[in-house]
Amino acid sequence: MPEIIKPGQGLLYMKVGTHAKEPLEEIIARKTREIEQNGVGYWGYGGGTCHPQTMVQPFAKDYEKHGGVIYLCMQEMESTHFAEPIRADEWSTDGIEWSDFPEVIEVRGSRYALVIQNLRQTEMELVLDNTKVALGNSMGARGNKYIRGRVDKACLEVMGSEVQNPEKVVRIGLVADIVAPYAVHVRNRQN
Amino acid sequence: MPDPKEIDLRAAINAISDVVQNRPRPLREFDQIYMKTGDMVLQSEIVARWANGKRLAFIGDGDAIGCCVAYLHKRGILDYGPSEIAVFDFDERMCSTVTRFADSESLTTLRSHLYNVLERFPGPMDFECFYTNPPWGASNNGESVKVFIQRGIEATGGNGEGMVVIADDPELEWPKRVLAKVQSYAIESGFYIQRMMPSLHSYHLDDNPDLRSCNLVFRSVPGNPPITISSPITDSARLSNFYGRDNPPRVRFVREKKRLNYGKAHEDEYSLELLEKK
Repeated sequence: MPEIIKPGQGLLYMKVGTHAKEPLEEIIARKTREIEQNGVGYWGYGGGTCHPQTMVQPFAKDYEKHGGVIYLCMQEMESTHFAEPIRADEWSTDGIEWSDFPEVIEVRGSRYALVIQNLRQTEMELVLDNTKVALGNSMGARGNKYIRGRVDKACLEVMGSEVQNPEKVVRIGLVADIVAPYAVHVRNRQN
Repeated sequence: MPDPKEIDLRAAINAISDVVQNRPRPLREFDQIYMKTGDMVLQSEIVARWANGKRLAFIGDGDAIGCCVAYLHKRGILDYGPSEIAVFDFDERMCSTVTRFADSESLTTLRSHLYNVLERFPGPMDFECFYTNPPWGASNNGESVKVFIQRGIEATGGNGEGMVVIADDPELEWPKRVLAKVQSYAIESGFYIQRMMPSLHSYHLDDNPDLRSCNLVFRSVPGNPPITISSPITDSARLSNFYGRDNPPRVRFVREKKRLNYGKAHEDEYSLELLEKK
C-alpha cells in the first residue's frame, strides 16, 4: 500500500483531464509555475460534491487538528471540458469576504479552487472499495459506490480493513498536498 | 382528512411548473437543495390533504411547497387544502417569490415573513400545524433539524401537528441516527410520532442523487401546556455544525437584489449581436 494511502488517511479524490479547453499537461506546467512563484497554487474545479465551505474546509481542518494533511489524489481521464477559459479575478474562503488573486494565479473556467503545494506526478493504485465518504450527505458511503455517473470527486477516508476482490481500483497519477485555507470560492470581478 | 381522489395529473404538473418557473436558484451553502418536480406534485397533494382546513406554518420553504399547495387548491386541481399558509424563511428571494406569486395568482390564503430561525419566533403562535424541510443534520446529529422543529412547535403554541421532511436512506448510517434523535426530541417536546412515510422524495443533489427523504408526522400529546414564549437560539453547541461540520450560521438574511424583470433571464447573462442592416 503506498505511503499516503494508509488507514485513516484523508484524500480528496478527483478525476482530471482537459479543463476549460486546456490539456492536462499544460495545466500541470502552469500550476507548477504558480507554486514556485506564489508559494501555493490554486487547482480549479466545479460541481457540488466538494463544496469549499461545507466539505473541503471542515474535512481538512479535522486532519490538521491531529497534525495530518489531506492529499489531492488525481486520476487522469480522457475528457472534453468545454467551459470557457475565463480567468477568475477574486477568491474567498466564505463567499462573503473577497480578495484579488495575485497576477501569477490563473484559475480558469471554475467556481472553486483547491489550495495546493508539492504537486508531483506519481504512479499508485487507489482501491475505492477501501474508502468511505468522510462527511456530508453521503457520509459513510463506500468510495466504489459513490464515484459513479457524474460524481467524479469526493472527500474520502481510507478504511482500516481491506476488501477482498475490489470492484473499483483506480490509477493515481498526480498528487498534491492541500494546504490552508484548503478550498476557496472564485469569481469574476463584481462591478 | 379527506380521502385521496384522482387528480388531473397534467394540470397538477403544469401548476407545479408555474411555481418552479418563479422560484429563485438554490444556494447550496445554506442547504437549499430542491425536491424533484414529480415528487413536489405528490408531496403537495399529501400536505394539502393532511392540513385540509387548517392554518399551516412553513418553517423555511425553499422548495416552495407552500406556493404549490395554495395554487393547486385555488385552481381547483385539489378540492382540499389549508385555510391559511404562512411561509417563514430567511431568504428574502423566497419570501418575495411567495408574495409575488400570491399577488399574481390571487392566492389570498398565502403569505410570507422574512424570519431567521435562530431568532425568537415572531408569532402568531396559534397555527394548527407546521411543515419543515430543514438542513438534514448529517454533521450535527440532527441538531439543525431540531432547531426548525422547535420553531414549528412554537408556531403551534405546543398543540398541533407537524410534518418534517428529513433524509431516509437504507444504506447510510447517519440518516438513521438523525431519525432517532429527531423522534426523541419530538417526544421530549410533548409530541408523538403519528406516521412515517419512508423514502418518498428525491432531490437535485449532485453528490447523492439517490438520497431520499421521508415525511415524519408528529402530533401533540393531549393536555400539553401552551407555549407562549419563544427565545433566540444562541447556544454554540447547537450551532457549531449547523450547515455542516465546523460551519455555524453567519448570515441573518439572504437579501434579494431588487430588479424589474423577475422571472426573466438576467441581463448580465447575455448580450445582443444585431443583424447587419441591408
